[in-house]
Amino acid sequence: MEMIKILSVCGSGVVTSSMVANKLVELFEEKGIEAEAVESNPSEMENYISRDKYDLIAYASPIPDNFGLPAFSAMGLITGMGEEEFMEEALNALRKSGKIE
Amino acid sequence: MISENHIIKDLECKDSQDAIEKLGTLLYNSGVVKETYVSAVKEREKIYPTGLPADAFDIAIPHTDSIHVNSSAIAVGVLKKPVEFTQMGSNDIVLHPQVIFMLAINDPHEQINILKRLMSLFQNKELLESVKNAEGTKEIYEILNKNILGNGDGND
Repeated sequence: MEMIKILSVCGSGVVTSSMVANKLVELFEEKGIEAEAVESNPSEMENYISRDKYDLIAYASPIPDNFGLPAFSAMGLITGMGEEEFMEEALNALRKSGKIE
Repeated sequence: MISENHIIKDLECKDSQDAIEKLGTLLYNSGVVKETYVSAVKEREKIYPTGLPADAFDIAIPHTDSIHVNSSAIAVGVLKKPVEFTQMGSNDIVLHPQVIFMLAINDPHEQINILKRLMSLFQNKELLESVKNAEGTKEIYEILNKNILGNGDGND
């Protein structure tokens, strides 16, 4: 299976997005899916997306655009109260795009 | 990283900006952040708010870019009365945090274990309650030292 590539976005592109990125890699791992997450701030998103292919956006701050990618709010990953919902939505989107079975 | 000097119990503040000012000043006074840190956190909070509706109660994690930080530290304020913070990722959802974790992170990748443990703390209702209800700063320090730095529990 191909690796899932996630763009993790927060206001500064460092602290919160690192928390989210790390958490997501772990959560996907638990599902037996290999994932990699890159951190960005909202204004740099376009650069990242034009340079590399991403499968999913997780955001902890409002984003200017979803650039045609499935994008979900990651706040619940930090508080833990929405972890399952996030993963359900993310997995559904990845299935829809044919990234996972 | 965690110091009793950076913890305030019964913090009295009039709003979120005042809370940031008071906690940030603690960090500045001990030299872990630069002079620009407090105003940078204040500005960032207006654009990218950090209120979080944790299971136990609302919290906030104000922070800013690492260029304003000399060495990583966390300041903690248990508020006497909650003040309004906007929810992370929103423009208009108002939360009433009772505990504020002000983060000064020098290198998020290097500090990832600390950030992970901090997230676990946010998700642990009982533990978060124990921070809020602690008798004093020493007790708060001990809880954080054990659960964030992993000292004293023999599991790390």
